[in-house]
Amino acid sequence: MSEIEVPDPASQAVQNIHRADIVVGIPSYNNVRTIRHVVQAAHAGLAKYFPQFAAVVINSDGGSKDGTREAVLSTRIEDAHLLLLSTPVFPVHRLSFPYHGVPGKGSAFRLIFKVAQMLHAKACIVVDSDLRSITPEWIDLLLRPVLLANYDFTAPYYHRHKYDGTITNSIVYPLTRSLYGLRVRQPIGGDFGMSARLIARYLERNDWETDVARYGIDVWMTTIAVAEGFRVCQSFLGAKLHDAKDPGADLSDMLHQVVGSVFTLMQEYESVWQERSGSDRVDLFGFRYDVGLDPMEVKVDRMLNAFRNGCQELREIWSLALHPETLSKVLELGRDLSQGSTEFHLEDGLWVRLIYDFACAHKAQPLERGHLLRSLTPLYLGRVASLVLETQNFLASEFEDRIEQLCLRFEQLKPYLISRWTDGEGRPVSMSKEQVPIGSPEMEAQRKEIEV
Amino acid sequence: MLVTLQSILENTLARLSYQIVTYLPGLLAGLTILLFAYVIARLGRWLILRIFRGMALDRFLQQSGLSTMFDRSGRVRAPRLVAEAVYWGTLLLGFLTGLSALNTELTSRIIQTVVSLFPKVVTAAVIVLAGLWLGQYLGRGALVWAFNEGLPTPRRLATAVRLIIPFIAVVVAADQLDFAKNVFLAAFVILVGGSVLAASLALGLQSRHWLHHYLHSQVPPVEDSLERSLQDHL
Repeated sequence: MSEIEVPDPASQAVQNIHRADIVVGIPSYNNVRTIRHVVQAAHAGLAKYFPQFAAVVINSDGGSKDGTREAVLSTRIEDAHLLLLSTPVFPVHRLSFPYHGVPGKGSAFRLIFKVAQMLHAKACIVVDSDLRSITPEWIDLLLRPVLLANYDFTAPYYHRHKYDGTITNSIVYPLTRSLYGLRVRQPIGGDFGMSARLIARYLERNDWETDVARYGIDVWMTTIAVAEGFRVCQSFLGAKLHDAKDPGADLSDMLHQVVGSVFTLMQEYESVWQERSGSDRVDLFGFRYDVGLDPMEVKVDRMLNAFRNGCQELREIWSLALHPETLSKVLELGRDLSQGSTEFHLEDGLWVRLIYDFACAHKAQPLERGHLLRSLTPLYLGRVASLVLETQNFLASEFEDRIEQLCLRFEQLKPYLISRWTDGEGRPVSMSKEQVPIGSPEMEAQRKEIEV
Repeated sequence: MLVTLQSILENTLARLSYQIVTYLPGLLAGLTILLFAYVIARLGRWLILRIFRGMALDRFLQQSGLSTMFDRSGRVRAPRLVAEAVYWGTLLLGFLTGLSALNTELTSRIIQTVVSLFPKVVTAAVIVLAGLWLGQYLGRGALVWAFNEGLPTPRRLATAVRLIIPFIAVVVAADQLDFAKNVFLAAFVILVGGSVLAASLALGLQSRHWLHHYLHSQVPPVEDSLERSLQDHL
């Protein structure tokens, strides 16, 4: 592994500041439109909730051309306007550096973590630079569990539009939950709090220059925290409003990197997840409340077209991964669409088997990984389209119940994954197809989180 | 007459007996060697099937994608593959040894040719095999890439990649074997030339509209009005 290159200005700044209790990291790339607000929120949060701590706000930039770094450094924060009850003991330092290496969010985080370690920070949080809904309270909610309650990792818990975060809802949350047995609702949320111990663990790993350097970083951080037994909690942050993308828009790379990271980590932690069954709740900080969310337009037709075309063109690649029975069911759905069927439903069991089959193929065929992951896009779009068609009239809570139902299916079918994973032959095992109905007492019980 | 006939018969028998005496031991030795080689080959195949069972070769075949190249279902087994190679290799060796037992000019020439060609044949086979594997691999890459980029007919593109790369491998292998070099080279040049021409035509046809719009936008308004006035005049 190549050592991280800390830019000279960063080393110089660390020497000058010498020590900090808290580091707030903001990765950026051409975010001039929103980053001022994020920096202001970070400053206000630190001044309001942690006046007795020495803090540094670090912007790690990927070479923005729109003046993002200048915006970070020039943003004015008037403490007087914050109506603070206590005067901050230490000034909040603000730094902005360009990172070197593989372009991506992961590389930006790596520099932030390194600087946090050099400053001997007790806690570090990272927040996205495209956030429009961040408030000073986010800083408190992400930091306090780590700084004052001995947690190692604070994951975010947001209210999001039901069709925002479709990779999270369809794959990453149900899969990480069924694998590692913890219900971290937003494993790729992007806004996290971490202890010094966890940061040291991240920095000592040697896979920084893989997909982790890019979109894979969020799930990588969450998975390590969960799989290696660090103390994990969640904080309710309210609404997440950011520059949302249509789930059908250009996402192949993101899907490839995120899912690739999950699958790669599955191999590293196979002894961990094979031992675990079911899932446990994760402590949830913050007062939960309902919020209004930006409406989102989802182009279902485009997604269905992609799925249908995928069935016609990518059968060969899918056959490398999918169990013949699963493949035939998928192709049947594609055929129905081609014949003009107006009904489309990719059921949970089929989707779960499909993801598990891809995970096993990712392990068994390392040379074909890139092809397999990139061929997943139309299947994912088909699943999202199916979910959208099914839930277009659902309220947010009903949609959440629907995701819970999917998660339970992932957990029920875990023996199928273990069987295929260890067997390598793709022989399926018989499974109970019972599903927990929406709104059942069992599901209600599972929905209740601890509110601290 | 009878004496002549007797003489011919005697000569024929003498020649036959001479040839039998000369070649039969060699032939028998050759057949024995071949039989021995056959037994060894069968034994070798049997042993390999048992020794290699459960070893990591299957995993290697699966991970490298070679199993799907030999058999589309990917069910080909490494021990079977190695055992068959050993079986046929031993038989070939036995056959050559048997031939050498005959010790004639023809058999010596055959053996010499086979022995001198063997390394080249192996190299050529490896080249063709590598070409087939690479063709499959890049074909899949082209298929997924073309699909995600929304290009029309991704499968045709993949098929083209799958044909072109093994073809290049065959050209290289033929060159290695000194076999019909010119024919393969000419075919290769025609293929590459044709592909470049097709690509140029496609690019030209595709950019025709763009060029049309571009040129249109470059025409100064003065000329535009002049054109209009000419039209009015006409």
